[in-house]
Amino acid sequence: MSLLQAIKNTVRSKSIHVSYVDVGSCNGCDIEVLACLAPRYDIEQYGIFVHNNPREADVLLVIGAFTPGWEEKLHVLWEKIPDPKAAIAIGNCPISGCLFDRPHTFVDAPVSKHIPIAAQVPGCPPRPTEILSAILAVAPVVFKDFEVRTR
Amino acid sequence: MKRMVDVSIPLGPVHPCWKEPARVKCETKGEYVVSAEVELGYMKKGIERIMRGRPWQEVMFLAERVCGICSVIHNMVFIEALEKVSDIPVPDRAALLRVVVNELDRIQSHILANFSYCYTIEHETLGMYLLDVREMVMDELERITGARVTCAYIIPGGVRFDLRNEDELRLRANLLAIEKEVTRYMRMFEHGPLIALRSKGIGVLTREAAREAYAVGPTARASGMPEIDRRLRHPTYQKLGFTPVSRDEGDNFARIMVRFQEVLASIGIIRTCLDQLPGGPIRGGGIPGAGEIAYSGEAPRGELSYFIRTDAAGRVLDISIQTPSIMNIEACCHYMLTGAASLADVSSTFVSADPCIACTER
Repeated sequence: MSLLQAIKNTVRSKSIHVSYVDVGSCNGCDIEVLACLAPRYDIEQYGIFVHNNPREADVLLVIGAFTPGWEEKLHVLWEKIPDPKAAIAIGNCPISGCLFDRPHTFVDAPVSKHIPIAAQVPGCPPRPTEILSAILAVAPVVFKDFEVRTR
Repeated sequence: MKRMVDVSIPLGPVHPCWKEPARVKCETKGEYVVSAEVELGYMKKGIERIMRGRPWQEVMFLAERVCGICSVIHNMVFIEALEKVSDIPVPDRAALLRVVVNELDRIQSHILANFSYCYTIEHETLGMYLLDVREMVMDELERITGARVTCAYIIPGGVRFDLRNEDELRLRANLLAIEKEVTRYMRMFEHGPLIALRSKGIGVLTREAAREAYAVGPTARASGMPEIDRRLRHPTYQKLGFTPVSRDEGDNFARIMVRFQEVLASIGIIRTCLDQLPGGPIRGGGIPGAGEIAYSGEAPRGELSYFIRTDAAGRVLDISIQTPSIMNIEACCHYMLTGAASLADVSSTFVSADPCIACTER
């Protein structure tokens, strides 16, 4: 890895763009992710920008147990995110299906069957501070040894 | 008849301003929206199918997770239906504590809805102010119930935790601060000239249209229908002398203002509850038994109905839930979005009806 690339990676790991996708949750984790934006937790002072545009994102927050409506769509969404990228599972639902993974359900948990998951934040729902620290823990790992592929 | 349509523009399912996935397909002619259609189906988990045949102890937690934003009212309506079925009495103190927690939940839900609207019309400053106030409400919820979001506070025959004296004092002090802040932000919203340009006269839902579409909750109350508030039929609220809020404009501005006014009204209800709070137990006895009932309550978004049938062991044999958002979404796409003058107003109008996709699809 060239020195220039190493500097780029260090700098980029300090400014993360985050996108979130709800693949069938109860909404509880969504509002905890939104609460991270609040001035009390202030996600932006850590250099994390919640933009919710997959084409500009570095980190994807996956919320919710996997529903059939996302069968073909979540993979396409994951492909749209440019390299390097990481997905974080927020809440119990993407990890185990929580209490939706029972007989007669429609969900197809865990989400790690469908896209690679880098980190998991358990809780129903997790606190905003836990979500924040998970994103901060993943950020340096995502960019650590990244090199632009040359043709 | 052949319809002339320039282009069909889909919005969503992943959209910068929406919390949840939904797809709005707009057929446009230039900037003019000819018709709009909402496509759902991204969140269908089959909660009612999971619930059937399970004991009430499990269904209680599932009912709470129908919707995470308004989890307290789902808990309350399910438990009160269960109490009606099996004649379980509720102590007076517990009945008032239920109202306190329910109104705190309504406050945080309304503030979140108004934050989403401010965020969508790009007034991020006001949105952040509102989120900051919401954290104070969440603190109070956490102090009383022990959890921020899904708290399972209400159980058959009472509530889970008592309100301690020092917590009551803190709640009163924080209510003063919340009231002051919300009044200030309401005034900012009311008199902001740029907010008025994006909100007044946009997405109008007339009283007749609201009646035809069976709109519920703040969406209907902003169109001059105060009588649809289900809290008017709840025995505890009747004792507290509750009067619903309503406005007549029926546009985006009115819907947000109704929510602000309801936040202030809820603070008043909580104060009345705390004044009247008697001593005594917070849990009575009683075992859920067999029966069937249809019961409804007023969620932050409108009327929420549960139909349950239980057997003698307290198992839920049959359950069906009707949530408020489905009516508001239909009202939104048939009456508010159709004929919208600009495509830029579509997302803000959709958000102003406060659609909750998770409880719509369950």
